[in-house]
Amino acid sequence: MGWHWESTVIAMVAFGILYWLLSKYAFGPLFSIMEQRRQLVLEQMNTAESSRKQAEANMAEQKAALDQARKDAYDIIEQARTTSTKQADDIVQTAKTEATRLKDDALKDIESEKNKAIAALRTEVGGISVKIASKIIEKQIDEKSQEQLVNQYLKEVGSK
Amino acid sequence: MHDFPIWQLGPLQIDVATWIALLVSVIVTFVVARLAVRNLSVDNPSKMQNFLEWAVDFVHNLIGSAMPLNRVKPFMSLGLTLIMFIFISNLLGLPFGIVTEPHHEIESLGITKEMLEHGHVALAWWKSPTADISVTAGLAVIVFVIVHFLGLKQNKKHYLKHYFQPYPIFFPINLIETISKPVTLALRLYANIFAGEVLISTILMIGWYGTPFLIAWQGFSLFVGAIQAFLFTMLTMVYISQAAIHDEAEHH
Repeated sequence: MGWHWESTVIAMVAFGILYWLLSKYAFGPLFSIMEQRRQLVLEQMNTAESSRKQAEANMAEQKAALDQARKDAYDIIEQARTTSTKQADDIVQTAKTEATRLKDDALKDIESEKNKAIAALRTEVGGISVKIASKIIEKQIDEKSQEQLVNQYLKEVGSK
Repeated sequence: MHDFPIWQLGPLQIDVATWIALLVSVIVTFVVARLAVRNLSVDNPSKMQNFLEWAVDFVHNLIGSAMPLNRVKPFMSLGLTLIMFIFISNLLGLPFGIVTEPHHEIESLGITKEMLEHGHVALAWWKSPTADISVTAGLAVIVFVIVHFLGLKQNKKHYLKHYFQPYPIFFPINLIETISKPVTLALRLYANIFAGEVLISTILMIGWYGTPFLIAWQGFSLFVGAIQAFLFTMLTMVYISQAAIHDEAEHH
C-alpha cells in the first residue's frame, strides 16, 4: 500500500467521465422529467383552482337566479292580491251605485205617479164640478128634480 | 496483511486492484443510473425511477442546506455523481475479496525473489477504490479545483478578501485552512473505508467463529459507507458555498 499518483490521475479521469456520462444520459433526462412533472402538477393545481372559481361563480349565479325567481313570484302574488282587492271594491262600488240608482229611480217613479194621480184627480174633480154646475143650472126649475139630480149624482159617485 | 499487485508499465506504476475497482465502480454507478432512467415517465414512474428521484430530492435538500435554494441547480449533477459514486465505491470492497498467493516471482507485478523468501505473499485484487488514499486524493483534488475555480470566477472579490479576514495577519492561518480542507476530505474517506476493510480481513483470520462479528461489521460498514458518501458530498457543497456563494443578505 502506497502512494501512486497514477491512481490519483485515473480516479480523477474516471470521476470526470462518470460525471459527464451521468449528466448526459441519466440526470439530464431525469431532471427534465421531474421538471415536467412539476409543471404538470402546477398546471393541474391551476386548473383545479380555476374550476373551483368557475363553480363558485355558477353557484352565485344560480343563487341570484333563484332569488330573482322568488322575488318575481312574490311580486306576482302581491299584484294578484291588489288586483283582486281592487276588483272586489269595484264590484261592491258598482253594485252600491246601481242599487242607489234603482232606488232613486223607483222613488222618482213613485213621485211622478203620485203627481200624475193628483193631477188626474184634480182634472176629474174640475170636470165633475163643471158638470155639477151645469146640471145645477140645467135643473134649477124644481126642488124635486134637483133632489133627484143630487141623488142621482150621489148614486153616480157612490157607484164609482 | 495483503499486498496489492503493482503492474510496472514503462515508467508508470499501475495499482491493478485500484484500477479494477475504479472501473467496476464507474460501470456499476452508470448502470444503476441508466436502469433507473430506462423508462422515464411523468405520471407513472417505475420503482427504480422513484428511488433515483428520492436520491435527487435527498441531494437537493442536502445542497439546499449548504447554500441558498436558488443556487442549488448547477450543483445537482455534481452532488448526485459524488454521493452515488462514493457510496457504491464504499460498498464495493465489502461482500468479498480476491486474494492470490503467488509462488513464483512475477517481475511485472513487483513480486521479487526476496519477498517470496521473506515469507508468505498474498496479493489482493479486489477492494473499494475509496480504500486507497490515491483515489480519495483524486476526488479531493477535483473538489479543491472546483471550489477555488468557482470562487475566483463567481465571487472574486469576496473570495480573495476572505484570506485576509478578519485581519491580514490571519493570512497564514486561512491558507492552512484552505489546504487542510481537501486533505481532511481525502483522509477521512480513505481512513474510514480502509479501516473497515482491514477489520474485515482481520475478522476473517479468526475463521468460522468470526461469522457473527463479520455480519455485524459488514452491516456497520454499510452504514459507514453511506455516512461517508453523505459527508463527502455535504462538505463539498459547504466548501463551494463558502467560496463561491456570497449572500448579500448575510454580509453588509
